[in-house]
Amino acid sequence: MSENNEHHDEHGHDAGHHVNYFKIYVILLILFLISVVGPEVGEATGLRWITLITAFGIAVVKARLVVNNFMHLAWEKRIMKWVLATSLVLMLIMVSGISPDVMNHEGQRWENIAAKAEVERGLAYAAGYAEEESEAEPEVMVAAAFSAESSFGQICATCHGVGGAGDGAAGAALNPPPANFTDPAFWADPARDRDRVITVIRDGAAAVGGSALMAPWGALYTEEQLEQVADYVMSFRPDAD
Amino acid sequence: MAHARPIATTRSATGIPTPRLAVWWILASEVVIFGGLLGVYLMHRIGHPEWAEAASHTQTWIGAINTFVLLTSSFTCVLAHQAAEKGNGKEAAKLLGFTILGALMFLMIKSYEWTTEILAGYTITSNTFWSFYYTAAGLHALHVIAGAIIMGFVAVDAFRGRELHRVEIIGIYWHFVDVVWIFLFPLLYIAK
Repeated sequence: MSENNEHHDEHGHDAGHHVNYFKIYVILLILFLISVVGPEVGEATGLRWITLITAFGIAVVKARLVVNNFMHLAWEKRIMKWVLATSLVLMLIMVSGISPDVMNHEGQRWENIAAKAEVERGLAYAAGYAEEESEAEPEVMVAAAFSAESSFGQICATCHGVGGAGDGAAGAALNPPPANFTDPAFWADPARDRDRVITVIRDGAAAVGGSALMAPWGALYTEEQLEQVADYVMSFRPDAD
Repeated sequence: MAHARPIATTRSATGIPTPRLAVWWILASEVVIFGGLLGVYLMHRIGHPEWAEAASHTQTWIGAINTFVLLTSSFTCVLAHQAAEKGNGKEAAKLLGFTILGALMFLMIKSYEWTTEILAGYTITSNTFWSFYYTAAGLHALHVIAGAIIMGFVAVDAFRGRELHRVEIIGIYWHFVDVVWIFLFPLLYIAK
């Protein structure tokens, strides 16, 4: 597109170049109309390539017209084209470098659970939205079945260990170490009742003067679920029934 | 020598006038800023089919009107450059005025658009699509605002016949802002 200008002259910049700006403007407007109408046609006919070409192909053509004829890059010294091209290439290297991680949600030895869950949640929400076709409340989709045991296993066990003995992998480096719920000495303090356990899970241990390393998890649970998790924690007591 | 000009404005190893060299360097960095943002958006868009639902709520006709407004403002801006090259500062200032008018129209339309969307509950924290939408369009709008302000100063000077070469410099920047929108339009409004 760029080199087709009949007045192309590498050194002619300051001498003035006779671009017919109005003609370029009219071409841009025509291309703009195609880029609006094209995708409509693409959608109506179900031919996705029409949408892609008219939307993005034409954007590239329009951008080149503006860059070459309005910004006069076609007449600019060659070094500036190289500077801009370098910038563009570096950007494309960055984007393509991270593209496998962003665009795929699983690979040979990894899986992006969060992204997959997000896609599922979003699609379910979109389906629900389409059904109701009204101003449906954007409610958060909660996993149907809640179990205190599995929640403890996923979240608490990281530090407190699956068996509640304070021997989770992530807890090894913590100081003070994570509480050991199987230790009678831990429960010897009469203040450690059910309400206190609920408070610590909801607001973090710092809320009762304990270590800030025990983070608040209240945002994850309903009040009822908090009670269930607390009961599960209490079940590690050596003297529990 | 009391009024000697700083060396930076008179020296040019590339043969390109320093102000123009400077604006090209700015744009080279802008390519990375906008390119990176839009590239990452595009990858997420492809990796997340559920974004189609969110994207279907953008208002194509508003985006289209704004595309028309920016294209037209680019046209008046390049005409201003043409007038400045002929030494006609008053004409250049008038045409820059039209360009600023275009910038203001663009911003007013964008304000209306964002207001309707925010009132409908689509905010920057709604989901990742809307985060990208407001970030990309917002960053672009900041460039429109900056360009319009600088253009005001250039136009006032040009009207008095001073620093006419600056008309070209702000023009190059303005066309770049137009080019960014040329890509934002299909990315945010058309591909659904």
